[in-house]
Amino acid sequence: MPQLEFLIKCGVYGLMGLGIIAAVGAVLLPNLFHAGLALAFVLVTIAGIFMSVGAEFLGMVQILLYVGGVMTLIIYTIMLTGRLGAKDVRAQNRQGIFAAIAAGFFVCWIGPLILKTGAWPQRESDSAPPLLSVEDLGMSLMTEYVFPFEVLGVLLFAVLIGAIVIARQDRPS
Amino acid sequence: MDQMFVNIKAALVGLSDKVFPDWVGVLVSIAVSIVAIALLGPLIMMYLTLIERKVVARMQNRIGPNRVGKYGLLQPLADGVKMLIKEDIVPRNADKVLHLLAPILIVAPALLVFAVLPFGRNMTAVDLNVGILFFAAISSIGTIGIFMAAWGSNNKFSVLGGMRSVAQMISYEIPMVMSVVPVLLAVGSLSTNAIVEAQADWHWFVFTPWGFLGCVIFFLCGVAECNRSPFDLAEAESEIIAGFHTEYSGMKFALFYMAEFMSAFTISGMTTTLFLGGWQGPLLPSWLWFFLKTYGLIFIMLWFRATLPRLRVDQLMALAWKFLLPLSLVNIVATCIWHFLSDEAFFTPAAFLVPLALLVFSYWGLMKLNQPYMPEKRVYPLVD
Amino acid sequence: MFEKMRVKTKVIDSGKSGLDTQTLEVNVGPQHPSTHGVFRMTIVLDGEVVKSLRPVMGYLHRNHEQIAENITYSASMPYTDRLDYFNSMSNNQAWAMTVEQLAEVEIPDRAEYIRVIMSELTRLVNHVSVIGFLLNDMGAFFTPTLFAFREREKVLDVFEAVSGSRMMCNYLRFGGVNRDLTDDQLGQIKKIVADFPAFLDEFETLLAQNEIVCMRCQNVGVLPAELAINASITGPMLRASGVNYDIRKVDQYSVYDRFEFKIPLGEKGDVYDRYYVRMLEMRESLKILNQALEQIEPGPFMAPKVPACLKNPRNFKPPVGEAYGRVEAPKGELGFYVVSDGSKEPWRYHVRAPSFINLTVLEAMCIGYKLADAIVILGSIDIVLGEVDR
Repeated sequence: MPQLEFLIKCGVYGLMGLGIIAAVGAVLLPNLFHAGLALAFVLVTIAGIFMSVGAEFLGMVQILLYVGGVMTLIIYTIMLTGRLGAKDVRAQNRQGIFAAIAAGFFVCWIGPLILKTGAWPQRESDSAPPLLSVEDLGMSLMTEYVFPFEVLGVLLFAVLIGAIVIARQDRPS
Repeated sequence: MDQMFVNIKAALVGLSDKVFPDWVGVLVSIAVSIVAIALLGPLIMMYLTLIERKVVARMQNRIGPNRVGKYGLLQPLADGVKMLIKEDIVPRNADKVLHLLAPILIVAPALLVFAVLPFGRNMTAVDLNVGILFFAAISSIGTIGIFMAAWGSNNKFSVLGGMRSVAQMISYEIPMVMSVVPVLLAVGSLSTNAIVEAQADWHWFVFTPWGFLGCVIFFLCGVAECNRSPFDLAEAESEIIAGFHTEYSGMKFALFYMAEFMSAFTISGMTTTLFLGGWQGPLLPSWLWFFLKTYGLIFIMLWFRATLPRLRVDQLMALAWKFLLPLSLVNIVATCIWHFLSDEAFFTPAAFLVPLALLVFSYWGLMKLNQPYMPEKRVYPLVD
Repeated sequence: MFEKMRVKTKVIDSGKSGLDTQTLEVNVGPQHPSTHGVFRMTIVLDGEVVKSLRPVMGYLHRNHEQIAENITYSASMPYTDRLDYFNSMSNNQAWAMTVEQLAEVEIPDRAEYIRVIMSELTRLVNHVSVIGFLLNDMGAFFTPTLFAFREREKVLDVFEAVSGSRMMCNYLRFGGVNRDLTDDQLGQIKKIVADFPAFLDEFETLLAQNEIVCMRCQNVGVLPAELAINASITGPMLRASGVNYDIRKVDQYSVYDRFEFKIPLGEKGDVYDRYYVRMLEMRESLKILNQALEQIEPGPFMAPKVPACLKNPRNFKPPVGEAYGRVEAPKGELGFYVVSDGSKEPWRYHVRAPSFINLTVLEAMCIGYKLADAIVILGSIDIVLGEVDR
C-alpha cells in the first residue's frame, strides 16, 4: 500500500525534522532548563525513529533509560544547582568555536558513512523479521559480549558505591 | 457478547472497505482504536472521580455527591463544566510556555499507556511485542511533565513538590520494573497479550509465591508512581498544598487530575494483566472480567486513601530502596528456581515450596537487617 | 523567646563534604490548608529539613482586649465565645469566674454542676476534633476528622438545645447560667456520655497502633519537661511532657473537688504523647461527666439577686480592684485578668490565651525535623487562631 508508506515516510521525516530543531534548541537555548527539555525531546524523537525501522526494543529502552532516567537526573541537577525558582540559569559558556571545530571533525568522519548508505528505508528490513530479536540480544549479551557486559556492571556498581559515599559525607555523624 | 467490541470495529472497517480503497481501511482501523481510547480514558477518569468520592464518603459516614442526577451520576459532567469555565490563572513570573505544556505532557503518556492494555480477548489496541517495556518507558516520561510544571510555576511549593515527586518516581520505578521481570521470565515474552494468554486455566501468576510477592510490590510501586495515598507526598495537601500543580487552575488543573486518575486505572489494569490473569475468567465476557479485577484494585487504592496517613519522605525512600528493591531482586531468583523445578507444570509442590521458603526467609532477613520502626509501647501513668 | 525567634539563619554550614548547598525559605501560610486558620510560619529549609522557623501571628487580630475595655462586663461574654471558637463554654466559664471573683458572687450548686458538665463536654469536642485534625495533617484524608465530627455533632446538638447556638454559646452568666437544663437535655447528655466510650475505643483501635501513625508521631517534636515549664506551656501539651499540672486539681475551682478523676501523663513529650494524652483525658472527662450527672440536683441555676451585677447587668459597677480567674480549658490554662476602676467598663482586660503561649515553643520543637513533621507538630499543639491572635 504505497499510500500508507507515503504517510509513514512523512511521519518519519517530520520526526527527524523535529528532532533536528530540538537538537539545535538544546544547543542554543539560553535557559539551561529549556535546553535540557529540548535534549529530552531529541531523545524521544530518536526513539521514534528507532521504532519506525522496527527496532522497538531499542526505542523503548532509549526512552526508559535516557528520557526516564538520565534526562530526569540531568534536569533534577539543573533544578538543584540553579537558584530555586529563579529563571536566570544560563546555558552559554562561550566555547562556540571549539564546539564548531569538533562538530566539523565529526561531520567529516560520519559524512562518508551517510553517503555510503543507500536510499531510506531499506527494502529488506520491511518484510523480513527484525534482524535482532530481544532473545538474540540477550543471548549475545550473555555469550559473545559477556566481558564488556560484566565490566560495565562492575563500573556501574563502583559508581553506585561512590555516590553513596559522597551522599553519606553530608550527614553529620 | 465476549467479542462485541471487536465485532463492532470489524464492521466499521468492513464498511469502509466497501466504499474506499483498502489503505483507508487500515487508517479507519487505527482511528477506531484511537477514538475508543481517547474517549475511554477521560470517561474512566470522570467516573473514577465519582467512584472515589462515593467510596471515600461511605467510609467516612457520609453519602457523597447525590444532587446532580440520580445517585450523583451526572456529577462528573457538572465538575467538568465547572473546570472549563473557571478562570485560567497563570502566575506573572511563571515560565508561560512550560506552564502551558506541562499538563499536556503529563496527560499524553497516561493516555498512551492505554494502547497496550489488553481490555479483553483480542481487545489490545496495539499488540506491541515490547508491550511491558512500552508501559514502563511511557510512564517514565511523566516525570518530565512534572518537572515542567514544578519549574514553570515558579513557586517554591511547586519546586518542593516536583523534587519530591521525581525522587519518588525514580526510586519506585526500579522495584516496579524489577517486579515485572519474573513474569517476563515465566512467559518469555514482553507482549501484554502473550502474558495474559499464558495465564489461561486459572494459572494466574498471583497464585505462585513469586507472583504474589511481585503483585504486591508492583501494585505498591504503582500506587507510589501515580502519587496516591499513602505515597502522595508530591501533592501532600497538608504540607506543600498541591505540590507541582499548586499554581494551576481550571482545565489545566483538571488535566493533572485526569492524568492521576488515568494512571491509577492503568496501574490497576497492568497489575491485573501481569498477575491477576488479565481478562481470563469463567462465564462472564472477557472485558467484563478485566474491568472487574481492575476496579477491585482501584477500590483497594481508594481504601488506602481513606484510611492511611501519609509516609514521610525519608520513610518512603527507605521503603523503596532498602526493602522493595532487594525483595524484588530475590523474587527474580525465586522465579528462576520455580521455572526450573516446575518443569512446565504450573503447580508442583517442590516448585511451590522452595521459592516460598526463599522468599519468606529473605523477607524475614530484610526485616531483621532494616530494623523497621516498631511502634513503641508506652505507659501513661494516671496520677492525681 | 521572641528575640530568639527572629534570628534568621542566613548561611547553613554545608558540612564536611564541602558541597555548596542552599537553603530555601518557604512561607507556610497565612493561606495554607494546615495552618489551622491564618497562621503563618516562615520556614528555612535545607532540603526538607527545618533549619529555622519563625511564627508570624496577627492575621486574625480583632482587638478583643481593647473592645472589652470599652464595653460593659456582661457585654464581653459573647466576645469570649469567639476567642477559641471550639470551646466557647469554657471561655465563658473563665470570664464568668473572673468577674464573680471581682464582685464576690456566690454561685448555686446546680449552676456549678451545669458549668462543669458543659466544660467537660467542650473538652470532648475539642479533643476529638484536634485528634482528627492532627491525623488529617498527617495525610489521612479526612476520615478521622469526619469520625470525630460525627461525635462532635451530638455534643453540639446539646449546646444548641441549651443555649440556642451550636458554637457561639454565650450560655454562662455572672452568678450562674442563662437557662436551666431540662430533664430531656440531661437525658440527652447521659446518652452521649454512655455512647462515647465505644466511639473512643473504635477511634483508638483504628489508628493508635497504626505503624505509619507511630512512625510519624513517636519521637517527633519532643518537648522536654524543663523547656515546657520555662515557656509556661499548659494543658495537655505540658502533661504530655510528663509534668503533673492540671488547674482542675491545683485550684480545685468550681466543684471539681467533688469528683474522682486522674490526670494522664506522657512519657517523652513527643507528638504521639500529645495525641494519646488527649485520648486518655477524654476518658477522664467521661468519668467526671458521669459523676456530675449523678450528683446534680434540682435547685436554682442563678445566684439569688443580691449583688448589683445580677440586678442590672448593664449598669454593673464592680468594686475597685483586680482579679485573675483561670480554668483548665481544653487547650491549657485560660485566664482572664481584669482591673476595675469602679466604672461600668473594665480599666484593663487581658486574656492569657493558652494557644498563643503554647505556640511559642514551636521553633524549638521543629528544628532538625522535616517539613512534614513541622506541620504535624503544629497540629499537635492544638491552636485556634481566634485565640492566638484575639
